[in-house]
Amino acid sequence: MRLDPVTLEILGNKVAAATEEMCFTLQRTGRTLYVKETADFACALAGVDGTFFAYPRSIGVSGFVALDCMPAIAAVGKLEPGDVILTNDPYRSVGLATHLPDLHLIAPYFHEGQIVAYGWTFVHCSDVGGRVPSSISPLNREIFQEGLQIPPIKLVRAGQMNEDVQLLFTANSRTPDANMGDIRAMLAALATGRRRVETLIAQHGVASFLAGQQDLLDYAAEKAQRVLRKVPEGTYRFTDFLDDDAISNLPIRLALAVTFREGTVHLDFTGTDPQVAAAMNVPSHGKPHAWLTLRILALINTLDPTAPLNAGLLRNVSITAPKGSLVNPEHPAAVGVRHAAAIRVNDLLNGAFGLALPDVMPAASGGVVVPLVVAEPTETGAQNVQVVEPMIGGTGARYGADGVDGRDSGISNLANNPVETVEAEIGVEILSYSLRQDSGGAGKWRGGCGLELSFRVLKDGAQVLGRGMERMKFRPWGVRGGEPGELTEFFVKSGAQNERRYGKIDVLGTERGDIITLRTAGAGGYGDPMEREPWRVHNDVRRGLVSLDAARTVYGVAIAADGVDEAETARIRADRPYRSPAHDYGPERGLFEQLFSADMLDRLNAALFRLPAARRAQRRTNIYNAILANLPGDFPSGPQVPTQPHRKRLLAEVEALEAETSTLSGA
Amino acid sequence: MIENSKGRHVRVGIDVGGTFTDFVLTDAANGDLAYFKEPSTPDEPSRAVVQGLANIVEKAGLSPADVELILHGTTIGLNAIIQRAGARIGLVVTSGFRDILEIARSRMPSSFDFRARKEEPLVPRDRIFEIDARFDPHGHLVRQPGKVALAELAGEISAAGLDAVALITMNGYANPQQEERIARALQDHLPNTAVTSAAHIWPEIREYERTLVACLNAYIQPLMQSYFARLENGLRELGTDAQIFVTASNGGSMSLGSAAARPVDTILSGPAAGVMAATRLAAAAKVPRIITFDMGGTSSDIAISSGAEPEFATRTEIGGLPLVLPVVAVSAIGAGGGSIIWVDDHVLKVGPRSAGADPGPVSYGRGGQSPTVTDAYLVTGLIDPNRFLGGRMALDRAAAKDALTSVAERIGLGDAVLAAAGALDVATAGMATELFKTLAQRGLDPSDFALMPFGGAGPTHANLLAHEAGIGRVVIPPAAGTFCALGAVTADLRRDFVRSLRIELDEESEQRLSETLTMLAEEGEAWLNAEGDLATSAEVSRAVDMRYAGQAYELRVNLDHLSDTPAHTAVAEAFHQEHERVYGFRDPVAPVQITTVRLAVIGRTPPVRLPILPTSSEPPVARSHRPVFLAGAWHDAAIYDRHVLRAGQSVNGPAVIEQEDTTVVVLPNWNANLDTSGNLHLIPSQQP
Repeated sequence: MRLDPVTLEILGNKVAAATEEMCFTLQRTGRTLYVKETADFACALAGVDGTFFAYPRSIGVSGFVALDCMPAIAAVGKLEPGDVILTNDPYRSVGLATHLPDLHLIAPYFHEGQIVAYGWTFVHCSDVGGRVPSSISPLNREIFQEGLQIPPIKLVRAGQMNEDVQLLFTANSRTPDANMGDIRAMLAALATGRRRVETLIAQHGVASFLAGQQDLLDYAAEKAQRVLRKVPEGTYRFTDFLDDDAISNLPIRLALAVTFREGTVHLDFTGTDPQVAAAMNVPSHGKPHAWLTLRILALINTLDPTAPLNAGLLRNVSITAPKGSLVNPEHPAAVGVRHAAAIRVNDLLNGAFGLALPDVMPAASGGVVVPLVVAEPTETGAQNVQVVEPMIGGTGARYGADGVDGRDSGISNLANNPVETVEAEIGVEILSYSLRQDSGGAGKWRGGCGLELSFRVLKDGAQVLGRGMERMKFRPWGVRGGEPGELTEFFVKSGAQNERRYGKIDVLGTERGDIITLRTAGAGGYGDPMEREPWRVHNDVRRGLVSLDAARTVYGVAIAADGVDEAETARIRADRPYRSPAHDYGPERGLFEQLFSADMLDRLNAALFRLPAARRAQRRTNIYNAILANLPGDFPSGPQVPTQPHRKRLLAEVEALEAETSTLSGA
Repeated sequence: MIENSKGRHVRVGIDVGGTFTDFVLTDAANGDLAYFKEPSTPDEPSRAVVQGLANIVEKAGLSPADVELILHGTTIGLNAIIQRAGARIGLVVTSGFRDILEIARSRMPSSFDFRARKEEPLVPRDRIFEIDARFDPHGHLVRQPGKVALAELAGEISAAGLDAVALITMNGYANPQQEERIARALQDHLPNTAVTSAAHIWPEIREYERTLVACLNAYIQPLMQSYFARLENGLRELGTDAQIFVTASNGGSMSLGSAAARPVDTILSGPAAGVMAATRLAAAAKVPRIITFDMGGTSSDIAISSGAEPEFATRTEIGGLPLVLPVVAVSAIGAGGGSIIWVDDHVLKVGPRSAGADPGPVSYGRGGQSPTVTDAYLVTGLIDPNRFLGGRMALDRAAAKDALTSVAERIGLGDAVLAAAGALDVATAGMATELFKTLAQRGLDPSDFALMPFGGAGPTHANLLAHEAGIGRVVIPPAAGTFCALGAVTADLRRDFVRSLRIELDEESEQRLSETLTMLAEEGEAWLNAEGDLATSAEVSRAVDMRYAGQAYELRVNLDHLSDTPAHTAVAEAFHQEHERVYGFRDPVAPVQITTVRLAVIGRTPPVRLPILPTSSEPPVARSHRPVFLAGAWHDAAIYDRHVLRAGQSVNGPAVIEQEDTTVVVLPNWNANLDTSGNLHLIPSQQP
């Protein structure tokens, strides 16, 4: 360490506080949906190497601590005092921006003619043009449909706003005024950061300020390494699935081999599906990118909450993300809803880490974030758009503790909206917003319950948007004999009709009086439910989170009027069938993998990746469709079907592809 | 017994602390001010109150019958909430919202810790009942429970054996009278269970927060009511028929009857009373803007006060739960005297763990092994081991030094003194950083303020903090140890009223705003009249929460400079100006929305006369000298007794001024001057 232990502690606190002050400035002055409702913004301080040495802990998006500003900085050439860089381009900023609505600003902070730090801030703005309002749709096939791409450029030159850039930018947005409001708020945040850095240098000297940046990174890296050393060494493999890619019914496979060795961790995503022609790709550029490493940060922080939050935490992390895969797409892959894939990446890391640390890691969380949105026409012809509630599931059970019901901070720790403010802002009557009984995966420790939101549409011509509906096909898995959580469900009741079950929706037209109901997936359980202490089951029944019926059939606990019926419980539990202590992914995935087994999909993807990038997705689709064409339409959600003949067919397809690609080396 | 209360002139302020119950007595007849400390009786706090009152009136040569008014602060409610030891309550909610407390605002305490738990709900799910009652956002009743349904619900509640229930209906804030009617209808079936209507208690939009207000009220009400009854009995037996008032979280006070009906208004009265005392003293000393600095055993708190008014907050946290009632805004900024000094890899840390009072700092000799901030004061010579708490408790300096030596060794810092000084630097910088953040959120600059410390360690640390934060004046009041009791005895009557509107501000809505302000003023006046004849004058303070359409946060705009029925243009201009002041810009195009109307009614009580300190033109005489380690070096500091200092005298730093309940440290290049009210003013002697 370069600094003494007193100065380092003081400086560490001050720089972290400076980033929080930047966020306060931004939050108070920002005007748009994403700033106000979901705190989808952040501010930080980057060192001369472009990585963050200071990041806010209590406000803003917590997961972007691993972003790297340097490629964007390098792209604009020489910087002068008063310059501010703007970019939203995931490809040309090399993963700083990760979808186009995120506007990133970087300001160099000078001291006596030298750059001593960079201020960074981003806001998810309302619209940057493209095919659909708000610029984001899972159905976008290429980034060109997602809006204006802004490579790193100087928005402000020596304190003067670049009017040409502003003209071009505002001409390409449906919400130009709101965007400029966000940019002004971000500029104010960067100014706050600059003032704080100047004060810090005046108090401690520039040498200490620069040395402190390095020390803080080293300090975090050492702490992270110490935590990672506690993990039993070895390689752990895990796979998980997204229900589909939004444009087809085909599941997306994510595969990971994680290796812990001497305090380092390597993530190898080989076996993950090729990039998709929908907006779910995660533009990581093959780096230990923020969207691929959230769970590592959580692991380190859980085991050592004192580690400072900065880029040093990820110094010991390396990655293999095959080029052209879902987790390292090539231009012009669409990336608008990359967080949908990131949620499953989180599950994937969680599952793999759990094999190494079964007593630490929880079962799968609900694994969904669905901002259920209503858009209604107004008298002026414009649309009134309001998030009704950001819908999430619960958290997974872990050794020694039940999961959390109806809350999950795994991807983002969003506040919900008061029902009363929603009803004051838009024409809906919310009928229920509650925990969902029997949705949490049963286990010795129970998975957290999902949520139910039900509302009546009060105006004609309103649309409902439900992006991010996931876990409708493959359940949040349980571990060590714990059961998986219930699936996400979506229902619409229209007029006098009965409630109808829907699959995933993108945009749904409604009529006045329609009742919309979304139930999110429950989280996975941990351990055999028949081993759950009966008083806990009784408590859940009393609180209405587990039904009497489930208590008896799933947990083997008989409950009488005056409490647990001990004798009957003992009798049921004595007769219980054997339950495997393995992971339980649910019957749907079980059936799917009888046919599309892990070894077969590994071979298929290995062969696909030897094809030129442009041909992979279509070839994959053709192969899957060839197999699925002979199966029931609701496979694998329907009843058990014989899979043997289809396996043979799949093997034939894979072998043919392998033969065809044996001479190719891959892109 | 004296029949006419007008003839009496004695008031007593009382603050119940963990160790001592403090008393301040004022006698308007001769301007006397007396202080007294009675050991607290935590098992039954009213015993110490009654006993101490008997003692202080006797000490003042008076009888209990001479007392006109007793102002009393209590932490019973707060403790019950923090320890989750309140009543067995239930909650009745609109059907479909049984999980209002489980879901809350959906956030977890940490994004990065998968062992994080959510807060324990105040009412478990099996004691939450659904009722088919709700309003639309305009306050129209759209679903109403029938007689049979109400009776059935009452049956369920009875069977659950509850002490009290709270009722919350969706959008009830828009029609509090109607929700109250439903509550009364339910109450008719439940003679033995108090029913609280959330909209009646606090008709502000946001159902979760309003539910908590109602639940907290119900949760502490039985406890508080029985305490008040015992207190009143005890005092009457003593022979006083003085009016008994209770201090409130908003810095004011209310009658025993009001407090029994709305105990939730009193939860945070302790810190509020301290801030109010500081505010009064600052106004008397003509110091226009202060930051109060209360440094206790486990943490330090600040509050901002300007123009004789403290800042209020409508978003505080209590026992892990958000509270939206207006309270005197107090923010924690870091270490207290008991905060533990420790080493983490390469850095020296202070807190957040605290040794508390038991085992306490190493130097207390009660088994504490970890050095604390207090131990660091001792090792650097800032406090005298033989004069702590007026010499009632000898401290073990050698033990403190040993503990800090081991810290120094682990981190390569030379010796115990350097470790102690480093720890004080870390603690001070941490406090200053949080102070900056707190002020930055309000667009304020610390250098515009004076720092007014109180609490055990506040005066010891204040100069260090002021220096670090760029604050150019520290004002240390006399008798900082009985500050909260002083705050109680000087308290006005005060109650807050609220109504959420959600309207766009324009010509059409002007009338609606005026009507709402008038209605709230009438409610306030009715309340004040019912409180008795204590107040000598009445005032109202009006404010409106506003925002530009679509904006994230409301900004509170005071309307006291406008007429009682203000023009919409004037209200809008007040908002634009406030927005410009706080955020640096105004938006003349965007529509302005009103979300919530607020009114506080204040019944002023006669001001308390403070004693005048004799003046002296002689230089002050030091009692002794001792080495103190400040600003990186040892100094031979002069030591003074505060009680011998006179107005007009000046002490040059480095110096230490000792008094019964605390120690004042004066840094090198700072001076301490006494004014005629006994306040010590610390200012830099060399302006930079």
